[in-house]
Amino acid sequence: MDTPSYFPVPPGVGMEENFLSLDDILLSQERLPVRTECVFPRLGFLEKSSDSQDIPEGTKMELPLWLCKGLYEKKRKVLSVELPKIYKEGWRTVFTADPNVVDLHKMGPYYYGLGSQMLHFDNPENPDIANALLQTFIGRFRRTMDSSQNAYNEDTSVLVGRLDCLEKVLFRSGQNSLNGFQGWEKGQAAQLTASSLVLNYRKRKLVDVQS
Amino acid sequence: MDPSEVEFLAEKEFVKIIPNFSLDKIYLIGGDLGPFNPGLSADVPVWLALNLKQRQKCRILPPEWMDVEKLEEMRELERKEDAFTPAPSPYYMELTKLLLNHASDNIPKADEIRTLVKDIWDTRVAKLRLSADSFIRQQEAHAQLDNLTLMEINTIREFLLDSLNCMYKLRSNLQPGATKGQFGDY
Repeated sequence: MDTPSYFPVPPGVGMEENFLSLDDILLSQERLPVRTECVFPRLGFLEKSSDSQDIPEGTKMELPLWLCKGLYEKKRKVLSVELPKIYKEGWRTVFTADPNVVDLHKMGPYYYGLGSQMLHFDNPENPDIANALLQTFIGRFRRTMDSSQNAYNEDTSVLVGRLDCLEKVLFRSGQNSLNGFQGWEKGQAAQLTASSLVLNYRKRKLVDVQS
Repeated sequence: MDPSEVEFLAEKEFVKIIPNFSLDKIYLIGGDLGPFNPGLSADVPVWLALNLKQRQKCRILPPEWMDVEKLEEMRELERKEDAFTPAPSPYYMELTKLLLNHASDNIPKADEIRTLVKDIWDTRVAKLRLSADSFIRQQEAHAQLDNLTLMEINTIREFLLDSLNCMYKLRSNLQPGATKGQFGDY
């Protein structure tokens, strides 16, 4: 049994984020195309393409997710967020046609996470986006399950390279159970080995000190 | 759950041995065992059988299901059926490993038995994955699988539960009303 030295906080899938989750923190760095609805005085330095002192109304720029979520208001006085192209109609039909073909890592490593966060910004296409996320997940489930349960002691970088971060977490847990079972079958479970927690301390062993 | 824990539970199963020593009945918390007389078969739990075997105090008799013809029949039946057929024993995988590792001299055709059990295991695990996939694909709320052994459940447990969690949360996106309240909590 390999107990980890800490339990990582899992990402909050769905519309809520886990504050302490590293995956969610990295997710909120993703940039979204926005259109400003009012003037941002003296913030011209954020917009590199124009040289003005402040950002005029109606500028199209990219802001990270955490900023968009904070600035977004129902009455839409400040920002209006556009959908990134992978959540638009065109790509959605690609995903529903064959989810397994798509390289989700290239599409933004946080496809599911970002898609769920996009639902915060009231968009008429929200139900379609949510549906597309769900169908993509269901379609790719088989491939993830098979590859995680069958790749023992191999280089998995080819298999994992096309997976979204959420699917990578699932892949890892599948690999864990596979490795545990194979290790047990080989008899490794009955051997005493130093725990990884202790190895990490890298203490000098008595044998080394004496000699 | 760890495979070692499943193996631990499997060691409670009973198996027949032929001891070469004599001992009166012993009274353990789990039940009474014995008395042991040399040459007469006795029913003991697997943990005791393995211990005695390692001390060369007994001979282990293979369980009834551990027979080449029977396992071949079960393998063919498993391959024909779509649902799960009753397993040879609720702990067939663990018992095979334990008995064939420690007592292979007492079990005839040990290698063939190992191959047959592995075939049965592979077929059952493939069926399990198929049914897990159709479960998720149709987004069912309940599923019932009969005749699964603990070891098979254990290999898929972590993965399936995590995926079902993810699917549940993605499904809750479709009804945004309940979660909207906590927005603007910075």
